[in-house]
Amino acid sequence: MTKQSTISRAEGWRRRGPLLPALIFTIVVTQVPFAFTLYYSTQSWNLVRPGSREFIGLRNYLYVFRDSQFREVALNTVILIAGTVLISAVLGLAVALLLNRTFRGRGVVRTLVITPFLITPVAGALLWKTAMFDPVFGLVNFVLQPLGLGDVEWVSQFPLASVMANLIWRWTPFMMLLILAGLQSMPTDVLEAGRVDGAGPITLFRELTLPHLRRFIELGVVLGAIYLINTFGAVYMMTQGGPGVESANLPFYIYQRAFLGFDIGQAAAMGVITVVATILISTLALRLLFKTFTATREAA
Amino acid sequence: MAEIAYKSASCIYEGTDTPAVDRLTLEIEDGEFVVLVGPSGSGKSTALRMLAGLEDIDEGTITINGTDMVGVPSKDRDIAMVFQNYALYPNMTVAENMGFALKMRGLAKDERRRKVERAAQLLDLTEMLDRKPAKLSGGQRQRVAMGRAIVREPQVFCMDEPLSNLDAKLRVQTRTQIAALQRRLGATTVYVTHDQVEAMTMGDRVAVLKDGLLQQFATPTELYDSPVNAFVAGFIGSPAMNLVSAPVTSEGVKLGGTTLPLERDQLAELHEHGLTSATVGLRPEQLEVAHPGEGVDVRIDLVEELGSDSYVHAHLTADDTGEPATLVARSHSRTPGRLGETIAFRKSHGPVHVFHPETGQRLAA
Ligand SMILES: Nc1ncnc2c1ncn2[C@@H]1O[C@H](COP(=O)(O)OP(=O)(O)OP(=O)(O)O)[C@@H](O)[C@H]1O
Ligand SMILES: [Mg+2]
Repeated sequence: MTKQSTISRAEGWRRRGPLLPALIFTIVVTQVPFAFTLYYSTQSWNLVRPGSREFIGLRNYLYVFRDSQFREVALNTVILIAGTVLISAVLGLAVALLLNRTFRGRGVVRTLVITPFLITPVAGALLWKTAMFDPVFGLVNFVLQPLGLGDVEWVSQFPLASVMANLIWRWTPFMMLLILAGLQSMPTDVLEAGRVDGAGPITLFRELTLPHLRRFIELGVVLGAIYLINTFGAVYMMTQGGPGVESANLPFYIYQRAFLGFDIGQAAAMGVITVVATILISTLALRLLFKTFTATREAA
Repeated sequence: MAEIAYKSASCIYEGTDTPAVDRLTLEIEDGEFVVLVGPSGSGKSTALRMLAGLEDIDEGTITINGTDMVGVPSKDRDIAMVFQNYALYPNMTVAENMGFALKMRGLAKDERRRKVERAAQLLDLTEMLDRKPAKLSGGQRQRVAMGRAIVREPQVFCMDEPLSNLDAKLRVQTRTQIAALQRRLGATTVYVTHDQVEAMTMGDRVAVLKDGLLQQFATPTELYDSPVNAFVAGFIGSPAMNLVSAPVTSEGVKLGGTTLPLERDQLAELHEHGLTSATVGLRPEQLEVAHPGEGVDVRIDLVEELGSDSYVHAHLTADDTGEPATLVARSHSRTPGRLGETIAFRKSHGPVHVFHPETGQRLAA
């Protein structure tokens, strides 16, 4: 038995050995910086005051939690993610329903609808800031002018909403694709059975299509939320987090504290808090997702 | 209770030129069990879906109790349908599946529950009412699909190959159950199948379709005894009728070295059409195995043992022109002969079916 297990251990190394470089590389580029961040978060260290560096234990964390700006930014982050994900899921559902019909030029339209997701985030943000929201030559004001609403300074008056508009524009195609895949996997005979059983189009959608789409929508929401936690480009390009921190989210605020305020210790503490919160939330979300998928596998 | 009439009803699918169902005319009586049968792609499902309102009626019309159904949505036709893959609602329990149509009709909850439970009892589904379809076996799903149709007490049942996903034994069992259930409920039923045994055993009348065209609409015995053309003759019956093209002589047709005598009126009609050859049809049970020289000499290709009888597949030995014609005979003997042995087939009883060699139409009665 011992012999067999030593053989299989050697065999195990032979099989997994080639993965070692990738593993080492991953540890070096992700875990080592994280360890450094953890270490920095215990230091009082501001680059503007050389020689000020000293160990202060967990006091940085205390400062962060007392910081009302940090709390505002955390709330902004939640609003930004939840708003974007929910609104783009609803819009994505609507567009997917339209694209699920057969009409001439459907392929072209579908490709066009997807493009926002393929554009570099920074370029998209710049486009929205200038071409869409600019108070003087932006398209939004141009369209609203006949309605007497033509002189809104979107980005400075509604900074968070503006950033969110850009993100919704970017994420609607993603949601649309997932939901369209769901719609196309909907068995037609089930819908026909519903029709014969006396259901009208709205009842069919509510009772049969929507339950079928549920897991696709959930998948979209969870994946979207995980990606959106890292949003930086849109905030940086459109509002710089301002005015004040009204439109800043966590990544941007941390960036500000570290590279504009040079407060390495506190920025590191915020980073650690963000990472921990993200891991917690996404673990819960992924668990929910796996649960619905295994549940539907049972049901399929 | 409903009478159904297809009146030259056609359906042409988008992007195709030939109609999937071509000017179908059928009169179905109240409470009748009608089976649509035909090979794959013959338009059976399409004809049924036109009745259920799932496919447009492009030409002609279909009436139920005299009411024109063109433009009437399925939900207003009072038709229940059983689908081939059952099409159960996956997100609903068995009880919700069966009660869905009643809910759509606005029935109160306890009324619904009562009807569903009664149907469940009838179909032996009571223990499964709270399960989701995914947790049922194929046979149970089939019964749920039936239950979903019968709780509605509809005017018309439409069934599209509802048994094709069951194993052979369950299929025979369910076949009789469905037929009994239909008799009891008395609802007019249109049943689609490609299995001619199902068609023969279940239907009051059977409509045979081919390429969207109705070939014959008659009782099972009539279809069996006097098929209107060679297609119906070959399609109905298992194993299929022997259809051989043979030259016409003064008393009958020449089969192998011998002459198969025909009836007077058959000969008269052959001469009337000026035909020198005809397609003759003999069912396997009309042939019996005999010693060489006592009938048509044949060489055995295959013997199918079925326990009670056996089917002997053989080809004509005297036929030296190209592909030799093959014949099947039913034998009551267990050892009718060995492979490659030369024996004879002799006609035992019943009339020979004669068809036009080109059009396949039946000649004389
Ligand atoms: N949605 C469709 N679009 C175009 N043609 C179709 C469509 N559905 C069926 N057809 C064609 O219509 C004809 C009849 O089809 P139908 O489904 O009625 O056949 P069927 O008799 O039910 O055959 P099976 O026994 O294989 O179910 C076929 O030639 C088929 O190719
Ligand atoms: Mg079919």
